[in-house]
Amino acid sequence: MGREMSELTGPPVEDGILERLRAVFNHIDPPPPELDERVLFAIALDDVDVEVTRLQQDLFAGSGARGTEHSRTVTFDSKSLTIMISIVDRSDGLVRLDGWLAPPAPLRVELRLAARSGTFVQADDAGRFVFEGVAHGLAQLIVHPADSASRTVATPALTL
Amino acid sequence: MDWPVSAQLDEARADRHTRLARCLERARDGEMSALTEVVHELNPLLWHVARAAGLSADDAMDVVQITWLELVQRLHDIRSPQALTAWLVSTTRRGAWHVESRMRKRDVDRRADVAELTDPGPGPVERALTDERDGTLLRNFGRLSVRCQQLLRIVAMVDRPDYDIVAKAMQMPRGSVGPTRGRCLAKLRDLLLDDPTWGER
Repeated sequence: MGREMSELTGPPVEDGILERLRAVFNHIDPPPPELDERVLFAIALDDVDVEVTRLQQDLFAGSGARGTEHSRTVTFDSKSLTIMISIVDRSDGLVRLDGWLAPPAPLRVELRLAARSGTFVQADDAGRFVFEGVAHGLAQLIVHPADSASRTVATPALTL
Repeated sequence: MDWPVSAQLDEARADRHTRLARCLERARDGEMSALTEVVHELNPLLWHVARAAGLSADDAMDVVQITWLELVQRLHDIRSPQALTAWLVSTTRRGAWHVESRMRKRDVDRRADVAELTDPGPGPVERALTDERDGTLLRNFGRLSVRCQQLLRIVAMVDRPDYDIVAKAMQMPRGSVGPTRGRCLAKLRDLLLDDPTWGER
C-alpha cells in the first residue's frame, strides 16, 4: 500500500494542479445541500431488508421547469415490481398522488414523509392506489408484501 | 518542510479511518444512526463519482441515494472502511452506468429533457469563478478526453489517491490507473503551460 501511495504522489506542479481542480469542482459543482438529508431520510427505514427500486423515468408536464411543474410522472422498477406514480399539484398547495403497481396486486402501500409519520393505503385489485392532500417535501413509498415469502419494496426518496 | 505536512495528512487519514471503522461497527450492531457520520463523510466523493460519470444533478442524487439504500442491505458483508468506500464507489459507478444505458435507450425523448433540466456544465460556470487562473484551468481541463476528465476529477477528490477507489470509480483495471493518471495529468500540465493566461508558478 505504502509503495503505491508514493507512486501516486507526483511532482509538485501536478499536485498543485490537482489541488486546484479539487477546489474548482467543489466550487462549481458541490454536492447539493439536500443530498445528505435525502440519503439519511431514505435509509431510516424500519425494515432493513428491502428490495430497492431504481428510478426508471421522471417526466414532467406543464411548465417544464423542474420545481414549478404542475404534474409529474415517476416510474420505479425493481426485480419484482414496477411502481408508477403521478403527482398532481392541487389548488390548495397540496399534492395528489395516484399510483399503480405492476404486476397488479392489492398490497399495502406506505407513504413515508419527513415531516410526520407515514400514511398507509390499500391498493385495489388492479394495483391502483391514491394518496390525497399530501404536503410538499421529501417522500418515499414502501410497498409491503402480502405474505412473509415476499420482500418489502422501497423507492428512493423523492421531493414532491 | 514536506515531512511534517505529509505526517499530518497521514495522521488525519488514520483518524478518519478509525472513526469510520467505529461507525461501521456500530451500524452493523444495528445502530443505524451511526451511518449519519459516514454519509456526511463519503457523500461528496460519491457525488463527484456520479457527476464525473456524466449524470445530471437529479440522476446523481438518485444514484447516490440508492447506493446507500443498497449498502444498508449489505452492511454485514463489509468489514473495513476501505472496503466500505470501495463498495460505495463501485456501486455508485454501476448505478451511473444503469442510468446511462437507460438514457441511451430513450435517447430521443430524453435529450430535450436533459438540455432543459440538467445544470450547466463547465462553460457558463467559468464566469462564476473568481480566480482567472481557475477559469483557465477549467477551460483546458475541458480540452482533455472525456476519460481523462473523469479520471482526474476523481483523483482530485480522493484525499490520498487510492488506486483501488479510482479503479472502481473508473471501472478500469487497477494496473492502468497509475499510467493513465500520469498521462492525463501531463497532458493537462502541457496545455496549461502553453496557455498564456495560466502564467507561471
